Amino acid sequence: MAQFRLNGTKMLAVDLAGETIRALNGSMVAYEGQMTFKRQGMTGGEGLRGALKRRIAGEGMTLMEITGQGTVYLASEATEVTLVHLAGDTLFAESESLLALDGNLQTGVHFVGLRGMGTGQGLATTKVEGRGTAAIVSDGPAIALEVTPQTPLCVDPHAYVGHLGRLQQDVVTDVNWRTVLGQGSGESVQFRYQGQGLVYVQPAERGGVLEI
Amino acid sequence: MAVQTWNAASLPSNDNVNPYAFSVDLDGRWFVQKGKMIAYYGQIRFESLSSGALDAFVAGAFNSPMYAGDWIVAEGRGKLLLADRGFDVNSFDLDEGNLTVRAGNLLAFEPGLELKQSIIPGFLTLIGTGRFVAASNGPVHFVEPPIRVDPQALLGWADCPSPCHHYDHSYMRGAFGAARMILGVGGASGEEHQFDFSGQGTVLMQSSEVVMNEDTLLRDLEGQISMVGTSGLQRLQSTIAQRLAAERQS
Repeated sequence: MAQFRLNGTKMLAVDLAGETIRALNGSMVAYEGQMTFKRQGMTGGEGLRGALKRRIAGEGMTLMEITGQGTVYLASEATEVTLVHLAGDTLFAESESLLALDGNLQTGVHFVGLRGMGTGQGLATTKVEGRGTAAIVSDGPAIALEVTPQTPLCVDPHAYVGHLGRLQQDVVTDVNWRTVLGQGSGESVQFRYQGQGLVYVQPAERGGVLEI
Repeated sequence: MAVQTWNAASLPSNDNVNPYAFSVDLDGRWFVQKGKMIAYYGQIRFESLSSGALDAFVAGAFNSPMYAGDWIVAEGRGKLLLADRGFDVNSFDLDEGNLTVRAGNLLAFEPGLELKQSIIPGFLTLIGTGRFVAASNGPVHFVEPPIRVDPQALLGWADCPSPCHHYDHSYMRGAFGAARMILGVGGASGEEHQFDFSGQGTVLMQSSEVVMNEDTLLRDLEGQISMVGTSGLQRLQSTIAQRLAAERQS
């Protein structure tokens, strides 16, 4: 199995002994040993139906396949890398937050409805399932927040990075006439997570189309 | 290496989660700048300052109509996480003191503190007792007057008299200097202008020159336009026209 480890906080090192991993296109910064890099075809390993879904959802994701013997170093715009170990559970994350995936993790598009509107997130997120390690990137070190049935969590959509576990996600709004007049609280739309799992947030806020 | 996970109980109480995020143990009310909340546990509501219910409360602690649109009140009970553009976040305690901080860098403060606008455009002054949270690009450095600082690197100051402007003499000398003064063009190194601090106190510096945007300065200028008469307005207009023409040429 490919060994994912952090080299500092902003670079991911993966030790490979013949396995294949998938990584964000263009994220390789250095490697030792023998590596081959292959751009994934149009379908991105998700089949024709998966590719169509992705196209419709606008959840663009371009990954490459890396195979070889040695160590490959990956980084993306000096963002902070967080490793997520999956043991049969599902990670939901923005496609732009995924840096690298173990070869035997499956990806797909998950439609989430209108909740992403105006938050720069689009209508869908990418889901990653299976057993293995995924590396996600965030603007500033990601903070993992635990959700239990007793302690639901609310998150600013602009700071959301991903979530893991059996969580129910819904949108909390308190949009009223003040918001329309531009006198809103600025925190009118929040994601609310209930159930059991983990939510990753970043200490910075992405710019959205709408300031709500 | 797995990331440390936090939950409602293990999140620090009024302390940093990491250098870039701060956890407020809310039981009551805090003033928070819009858009700086990243997550929260518990029952917390966010109200804009103009929502009538809080009028009396706001009047007692928030004394700056110009910035009222940027601030909200977080009310309730729970853990509230604050962060700002991935900047370093620090909390400071004031005990019957006063501290002035760059408006864009102040994230939140307790209602025990009273907020007023500083004489220096783009800065806010906190007076009283309580805790506040401020962001800086890079760690904060504390220095003592007398000192001259770059306006962009200045985060705030405590207890010392307000600064004055300081310009390098050579900047204003000769024909080029005069042209610069009038037109605002010509080879500027960007370091001719400093803030000059004297007296007793502490000056807070950030380790970069990244500031939010000049929106606050602009609003301050706009706010002061009402004090200018007709002839003053005409003069302003011609200055602005000159400046714009020069910008277009360069």
